[in-house]
Amino acid sequence: MAQPSVFTTLFPHLGHHKIHEFRWAFIAGLAGVLLLYVAGLITAAILVSAFLVPVLYLIYLYEAQVYRDEPAIVLGFTIGGGVVVGIVVTLFERVIYNPFQYFPSPFGGAGISVGGVLILGLLIPVIQEALKPIPAFFLPNRADFPETVDGLVFGVAAGLGFSVAETLIGFSNTLANLPPHVAPGNWIYDLATLAIFQPLLQGSATGMIVATIWRFRRGRLGGREIGGVAMAVIAHVAFSTGTVLLKDAGINPLFILVWQAVVVGALLIYIRYLLHYSLLEEAAHMGFAETVCPNCHMHIVASGFCPNCGMALSAAPTSVRRGRRPRAEPAAKPAAKKA
Amino acid sequence: MALACPRCNTQNPDTNAFCQACGTPLASFIAQPAAPPMEPPPGLAPPVVGPPPGAPPPQYQSPYYAPAPGYAQPPVHRTPWVLIVSAVVGLVVIMAGAGTAYAFLSNRNANPSGSSGLLPSPSPAGSPSPIPSSTATPASGGTASNATFSVTVPAGWVIASKDSTTIALTDPSGNAVAITSGTSNPPQTAQQNKDSLDKSLAAKSPDAHQCPNTKVTNGSLNGAAGIFWQMCFTLTSGSQSVQAAAPLFAGANADGSVYYGIVLLSLASNKDSFSAEAAPVLASIKWGLH
Repeated sequence: MAQPSVFTTLFPHLGHHKIHEFRWAFIAGLAGVLLLYVAGLITAAILVSAFLVPVLYLIYLYEAQVYRDEPAIVLGFTIGGGVVVGIVVTLFERVIYNPFQYFPSPFGGAGISVGGVLILGLLIPVIQEALKPIPAFFLPNRADFPETVDGLVFGVAAGLGFSVAETLIGFSNTLANLPPHVAPGNWIYDLATLAIFQPLLQGSATGMIVATIWRFRRGRLGGREIGGVAMAVIAHVAFSTGTVLLKDAGINPLFILVWQAVVVGALLIYIRYLLHYSLLEEAAHMGFAETVCPNCHMHIVASGFCPNCGMALSAAPTSVRRGRRPRAEPAAKPAAKKA
Repeated sequence: MALACPRCNTQNPDTNAFCQACGTPLASFIAQPAAPPMEPPPGLAPPVVGPPPGAPPPQYQSPYYAPAPGYAQPPVHRTPWVLIVSAVVGLVVIMAGAGTAYAFLSNRNANPSGSSGLLPSPSPAGSPSPIPSSTATPASGGTASNATFSVTVPAGWVIASKDSTTIALTDPSGNAVAITSGTSNPPQTAQQNKDSLDKSLAAKSPDAHQCPNTKVTNGSLNGAAGIFWQMCFTLTSGSQSVQAAAPLFAGANADGSVYYGIVLLSLASNKDSFSAEAAPVLASIKWGLH
């Protein structure tokens, strides 16, 4: 549980084989970003970085059919809603934050702008975490998706939609004015943030909050869930504050990436912790049924977990969950005959 | 024989590799790997999987079953891996093409000509004189000063920050001027001060470089001898990223014990207009250290 695995945490419906396929696809995308960076095509690299994780997630949603029979509504309220919130919040950020005003003085090297840190490190992250879950919160057919894992996936989708909009709006000036071909310089650090850590932060933080909302609706709100919301907000604040402070202080950008990785890793571990206990609780109410494990493909009679490979069956793709066939308890038939 | 889960105490058939209630690996199976995942052949019904060797005791139902003849397995939606990787590669190719084309189109009409610089008409070193500016407007916003210099703040401008060596002003559009002066210990030449500024900007931006078609020139500003040049760079702050330009001045007194510095900060596209707008501000600087 205490491993910050991106794909087994944020793509919970995938079996082991599929996980590897998505990992390789992600690595292929990162290799593409690296190639574009080396070639000096930074504008293109920024665009690929912005879309890489969200596109993978879209493929995942299709693969697992999490949205069941209503893809338009679910995708519209999660990814689409996240995009709309991202546009609004990023435009608002532009209004209240002038990067030139808070640009740390280059004289003396390590000037830190307190105003800039407060706005970018505290105010904006809190506003974002308050608004990003709204689209998933108002999903009209949410009663059809009662599991905590559904809430997590919808939250991640909303967060990734937000991330795309945030990057495109925030980088619009650079995308429009950067020459087609430039010296690669130190762009690799910003590209790593855009392609990996920012979408993972936005997705996992919102996923955690929406998962908590789903738990609340099931009447299972406890300290673990409240801690999840606090963890999401604190992680986002820590991520942003650390990034601004380290950048203003002129620290090697590699350390900024390390900091971002640590924060995102901690967030992923907490999500696994929350999800683990949610799956245990919800599996207890599933009842025994004949089904096919989506991971090892064994024909099994099980309730919450596959007896052969241990996969949580409440996180099985929709088609598998629909195919469950209840099975009578073994002792029931003889008892009935005697009666 | 039943296997008690060490985690939740659920009694499992001994054919279970994992607890069916909580997914915990069961002790008797730790040494034996679970059955490997099996892929159904494309287009064919899944293989019939029978109960593994060692039937469970009567009180437990086998966790495995053989599907009835004609039973259609519910489709496990599986996107071919080729399609997944192809989608990502397609994304890279499309975005590479779209991004490059967009950058070409956006820069097609960009003004490639150089400008004379943020600080207009620097006078030759050794002949200090105020910056002449025909566009200068009377400053009416007051004066900002610290221990080392004073500067006029035009109407509508605000003091963004101020300490004992540095004052930063912003115009109504958000463009900024930062002015600094203080003592250097050990003494530093103007060139060394310029190098420090270049290094500082390089640490805060992925691509700081001297603006195309601009020159590094020596001159003086209100009695302070130094170097004029212009840097262009990407300024990324929070989720905002802009193409910025910074005409700069770095100077020193004769023995290097005092430094002078000025940075004008604006969008690259506004560099020249902001330089003209800031000219009267720069002309009003009165250095206190010499």
